[in-house]
Amino acid sequence: MLKTPVHRCSAITTGLKHLCVSNESGSCLLMLRSGRHGNRLLSTSSSVCGKALPRKKPREVVEISGLENISYAERMHFVPGLAKPIFSVWKPDFKDPFHYKSPKPEEMALYKDKSCYVFHQRTSLMEGVKQTLWLTKSKLIKGIPAQIMALADDPACQIENQDERVQNAIKHARFWDTTETRPPRERFCPTLLNSLLHLCGLQQFKHPALGERLLSRDYSLAASWHRGEDLIQVRGKNGMLLNSKSPLPAMADQEEVLSTADSFLETFYPIAPTIDLQNINVYDVKTDTGFREDYAYPHAHTLFFTHLKDGFLEQLRAKMVMFAFGNALARARALYGPEPQVLEKPVVLQSVATNGRLFQFVVFQLNTTDLTTDNGVKNLVWMEEQPLYDFAKVRPLIKKKVVQVPAGLAGYHPDTFKKFLAFYLHGAV
Amino acid sequence: MAVSALSRAMRAITLTGGCKQVSSQGLLCSRVVAESSRAPAASLLPSFNSAVSQWRGLLTTVCLEQNKTYWKVRDKYTIRPIGMKKTGGRDWTGKVRTHGIGGGHKQRHRIIDFQRLRYEPGNEPQPFEERIVEVRYDPCRSADIALVAGGNRKRWIIATENMEVGDLIKTSGVIGRMAVSAKEGDAHPLGALPVGTLINNLELFPGKGAKAIRAAGTSGVLLRKVSGTAIVQLPSKHQIQVSETCVATVGRVSNIDHNKRIIGKAGRNRWLGIRPSSGLWQRKGGWAGRKIRPLPPMKSYVNLPSVSAQT
Repeated sequence: MLKTPVHRCSAITTGLKHLCVSNESGSCLLMLRSGRHGNRLLSTSSSVCGKALPRKKPREVVEISGLENISYAERMHFVPGLAKPIFSVWKPDFKDPFHYKSPKPEEMALYKDKSCYVFHQRTSLMEGVKQTLWLTKSKLIKGIPAQIMALADDPACQIENQDERVQNAIKHARFWDTTETRPPRERFCPTLLNSLLHLCGLQQFKHPALGERLLSRDYSLAASWHRGEDLIQVRGKNGMLLNSKSPLPAMADQEEVLSTADSFLETFYPIAPTIDLQNINVYDVKTDTGFREDYAYPHAHTLFFTHLKDGFLEQLRAKMVMFAFGNALARARALYGPEPQVLEKPVVLQSVATNGRLFQFVVFQLNTTDLTTDNGVKNLVWMEEQPLYDFAKVRPLIKKKVVQVPAGLAGYHPDTFKKFLAFYLHGAV
Repeated sequence: MAVSALSRAMRAITLTGGCKQVSSQGLLCSRVVAESSRAPAASLLPSFNSAVSQWRGLLTTVCLEQNKTYWKVRDKYTIRPIGMKKTGGRDWTGKVRTHGIGGGHKQRHRIIDFQRLRYEPGNEPQPFEERIVEVRYDPCRSADIALVAGGNRKRWIIATENMEVGDLIKTSGVIGRMAVSAKEGDAHPLGALPVGTLINNLELFPGKGAKAIRAAGTSGVLLRKVSGTAIVQLPSKHQIQVSETCVATVGRVSNIDHNKRIIGKAGRNRWLGIRPSSGLWQRKGGWAGRKIRPLPPMKSYVNLPSVSAQT
């Protein structure tokens, strides 16, 4: 039993010598020696204990064009002295999705020499809102336009028992929605947003114009524009879009719009404004709202985003501005044509984003589709951030036997929901 | 019947593996055969069924292939940290090659761009500036690393001593007549730097990336510049002669107090992945102890034309 492997091994050692170099045999016999079942080879000769020397590089095969390579392909077996045959890659004539190799970018149908910068759902811009202002040729104004503020403060627009109902919605999302201790952000953030939207939607009995709205999600947006020499695109699924039959009125009047021509766009040398955008050579230049042309609710009203990461709020605001701009540009091109022009009736789009506690409000007014140059009329962005509540803790925060933050909902801010409601009712009141 | 079916299956495996016929030779390690008729490694993964490993002495396990560092293969540069597989000091054969390595905290590898003078594809070869976005600890080396952004790209570089977030650092490949006033963190060719500057991340061959002076707190000194070459003193006091077009960064490498740290306990060494050394008393063979000897002759990395070539 013991003898057989040793004999065979010695036979192999001689047999293998002409197959592979001695350093190879060392390694292979090492493997045979210490296998899964223990030491099977009891020989202690030097060829077995040898160190594994580094492998020599294989001989470089020189290709001389014009010289025909005589290989042993026709003979169907190895013949010493003839070259190793190189066969062409077999391309199957049937489709097998499990063994599909995509073509190289250069061979794809939509390949273009000039590259394009794409912004999509997963993009995280380094410079945040400053970068989006350059990309969309906009000017930032802190705060919300006066018309929406007036709606927020108007007592006729409030819901009865508003604070109580909103607090119930928060408690449901943060505490009552699960049998576990606390629901994760992926659960309570969309639940809260849906509850608040439901609350706002219930006001249809007071404002019948709210019936001309439709909430849609998972639609793919495409918008492309030139910024100087670069082509920039916004693609992909954004968030929930509230469509309406009538467009939103312009927030800033003509004078303010014309005065934006004096403001300059901030650049951040040495970083290019297209950093972090996906640079790609295979793309399709198209501007598509994501809806059909005969859709009954042609005007976009508000975009809703849920932010399921902890932090990264600057990138969230940048995403809001970019997608709001993309939607507005697509609608403007659908209404007024693809020619770059200054719009007489600016396209206004609202956007609300939440991470479960903080709410970001953005109003985007598209004044011009002439984005190639840096000067001229600019678009306007109003931005504000507000918390809906300060803490929603399951267990109270106690430091040195003093309760710092009690359990349950703490620090509720009623203004935030008033703004949310104003955003919803804007255009229908 | 099952045995004959298995033997048929075994023969089928050897045939499809592209190996030579094994019947005549009996015991043959399929790994050797696989290596000798080797195509790119990826085509021979995954390994054959090891359940039939000791069938008639035919070893079909190719588990040693898994000792190859496949996680290191990546052609495109990225700033995203990459998961590392620890080797434990073992080489591709599976045996210990370097003792005292193993365990330790999990680490993720951040690909560092050692070639500082790398122009962005599509840009002209001109001096450019970059802004420091972040300076952070790197588990894979003693120095700290800095994330710098310039143009449309971001990359990791070895941070120098006083790098702060928001600084602008310059990289240039131009050698002017006058020496540049060296600012810490900037990278210039050695021919453009004044004699006596402290440098780090030195290239030994122009354009091949920094090979020397990369450890925490180290710095080399530019001693003199001689007819197209520059002589640098390394932190080990050795002197080398390199081409003056080799790019080096000015200043000392970050984390200067690295050599002053106290490990404190055996456990901290284990966290760093350092296993205890052998306890066997080994007779000193002259390798231990301080040596005082003259410096070796200056190593030249420049191929100067020899006298015999001229004649």
